[in-house]
Amino acid sequence: MRFRNLLLFIFIICWASLMRTSAQQWVVPDDQKGKVAPFMFSPDLQKQGEGIYTKNCVSCHGMPGKDNWVKQLSPPPGDLAMVKAQKQSDGELFYRITTGKAPMPEFRNILSEDERWWVISFLRTFNPKYVQPNPAGKGVFTGKVVKLQMTYDSVQKKVKVFATELTKERTMVASEGIGIMLFVKRYFGNMQLGDPKTTGKQGLVLFDFPTDLPGDKEGKVELICRVNDASGSISSSPVTSTYAIGVPTNKPGLTETRAWWSTRDKAPVWIILAYTISVIVVWSIIISIVISVIGIRKLNRT
Amino acid sequence: MDNNKTTFEKLTLDLSHHIRINKGFLVWMGFLTVALCVCLYAYGLQLKQGLGVAGIRDYVSWGIYLSNFVFFVASSLIGMLISAVLGLIGVKWITPLVRIAETIAVAFAAVAGLVIISDMGRPERLAYVFIYGRVQSPILWDVTVVTTYLVLSILLLFLPMIADIAILRKKAQLLPAWLRPIYNVLSLNYADTPEQNRIIHRSIRTLSIILIPAALSIHTVTSWLFAFTTRPGWDSTIFGPYFVSGAFVAGCAAVIIAMYFFRSSYKLQDYIQDLHFDRMGKVLVLMCLIYLYFNINEYLVPAFKLKKADALHLHELFSGGEALMFWLVQLGGLVLPIILLIFSWFRRPLPMMLISIAVIVGAWFKRYLIVIPTQEHPFLPIQHVPANFMVYSPTLVESLITIAPFILVLMIITIISKFFPVIPIYETAKERGIEPFNSDK
Repeated sequence: MRFRNLLLFIFIICWASLMRTSAQQWVVPDDQKGKVAPFMFSPDLQKQGEGIYTKNCVSCHGMPGKDNWVKQLSPPPGDLAMVKAQKQSDGELFYRITTGKAPMPEFRNILSEDERWWVISFLRTFNPKYVQPNPAGKGVFTGKVVKLQMTYDSVQKKVKVFATELTKERTMVASEGIGIMLFVKRYFGNMQLGDPKTTGKQGLVLFDFPTDLPGDKEGKVELICRVNDASGSISSSPVTSTYAIGVPTNKPGLTETRAWWSTRDKAPVWIILAYTISVIVVWSIIISIVISVIGIRKLNRT
Repeated sequence: MDNNKTTFEKLTLDLSHHIRINKGFLVWMGFLTVALCVCLYAYGLQLKQGLGVAGIRDYVSWGIYLSNFVFFVASSLIGMLISAVLGLIGVKWITPLVRIAETIAVAFAAVAGLVIISDMGRPERLAYVFIYGRVQSPILWDVTVVTTYLVLSILLLFLPMIADIAILRKKAQLLPAWLRPIYNVLSLNYADTPEQNRIIHRSIRTLSIILIPAALSIHTVTSWLFAFTTRPGWDSTIFGPYFVSGAFVAGCAAVIIAMYFFRSSYKLQDYIQDLHFDRMGKVLVLMCLIYLYFNINEYLVPAFKLKKADALHLHELFSGGEALMFWLVQLGGLVLPIILLIFSWFRRPLPMMLISIAVIVGAWFKRYLIVIPTQEHPFLPIQHVPANFMVYSPTLVESLITIAPFILVLMIITIISKFFPVIPIYETAKERGIEPFNSDK
């Protein structure tokens, strides 16, 4: 027992020190700390943010102010209404949501930039002292306004993304040198397909679509393309389209068919039969014996 | 023949004189009742405050309640070995022991279900097991087979007793007045007619045959509650026979202890003879050897491979925190009894009774070692938990609630043995060449 306690102690010390160092390492780069939201937070956006928060964050962090976060996780996720979270700048929160750090997932490809800001706007409602800094680039946006179009070329079996940009003359022309990322939607978050590519002179990029990617029953997959813009100098919206180009996959869910682990009404037929028949056979023998034994009362004549 | 008649009179008197309420019975039952009340008070605390009063926590959620359940199911299996297996083979010397074995089976099987209820935080939801139970779950199978086995055991206790009840009903002066109406009903007008005997013998035979698979099922299914998981110490293909063979060890020991006390307190020395102890001693050695064989398989095979999770578990048993209990159980409760019982000197009543107590205590702690240590080593440890989640230690309340079923078993055995003859009168008379219903002829 003593030896085990010692081992446990050493294990806890090692684990704790490991967690300490890794917790310290999550440093937000200085240029990201000052980042501010591109719009003013409003009750509408906070409501949107709450919806996203309950879907993506609440499972570990709990509801802010309720102190119902998952205490077993390491490093502890903590209650986001607490000072430790609220004293961080918007830029720091945005960076942490975007990049994640195990066990927290990165939301870079799960939530759009706007959605991440909405979550922050929701979190700030738990901080009465919070005053939002002036939104970034309000009034003067000097970057490019880019519009994406996505198509699937069934002959070449490639996904085509065409980027156009708004000129000063308010016309749309093909946009060269724009980094484009392609994703496919999956159960949790999006999976990136290939590396980011840069548009050529025609404003065009081609992505190979893998031949073995599973789709739904009809092979449908949802593709998302977006601009890969780290500097924030491009304004654009991601484009989503669904194409029947995946491998049709009709796998019933694990609990949809009869299985050992399913609910009672989905029990395997052989178990129902084996159980019912055994019970009926044994209990009919028992009942018939009881009846015949009670019957010996009337057989009292030698 | 007068001689036969006197012999039969003496035999009937010898085997029925304990059927009465005397001072000893009242003192003994009074003691058991007071002890039971203390235990029920503990259970009241648990009902009021919840399962937190027991030492079970998130890691070890099956504590001594569950190991006690396994022990009770195990002990009840002896009915099947003695009355069904040996009875169907036609072994003659078991005649005076059959009813003792069946009484033990009925008592332990009846209480086993109650032991499970003590592990339930919301016992008033017991009916949900039947209403919402999944037919795929070994828990539902367990409930089904334990109930079936209990009914089979009650019938196998009662059917061979009908003749005795009828004999004693005719000799009403041997019975306390309040018991006579009960005997009148239970005798079922039995008068040793060929037709009645045919029905009873056929019923006993059929019941004995279905008792064997039923008994194997109850303990195999109980073992599956563990073996259907992948946890170290439980993830074993031989858990069914391992449990069944261990059950016979515990059951044999229980029968020997009961034999000893019935023999001395009911003065049955002429009927439960040294020969019966000698034979039961040999049966116990055989069962212990089979169980030892399964133990060697159960521990040596994973110990040779020492897979990571198994290694943690086995080191804990062999040389870690549970080592003292483990080796006491294996050596004191299994190996030493085997060695001693090989010598005929130890197969006499008193040494056998003492050895059987060691065996049965070992059998109880063996269930502890099967159920608890595995849970202290989960595959995915919970982080930041209090220390009392990781190491299980039963509380006083929990221990009292665990003692209650033993008191109930003793009460049931005492009451059955005070209402009905412990040793079959009819069969004993027949074996001695007397026709019980025509002894004056």
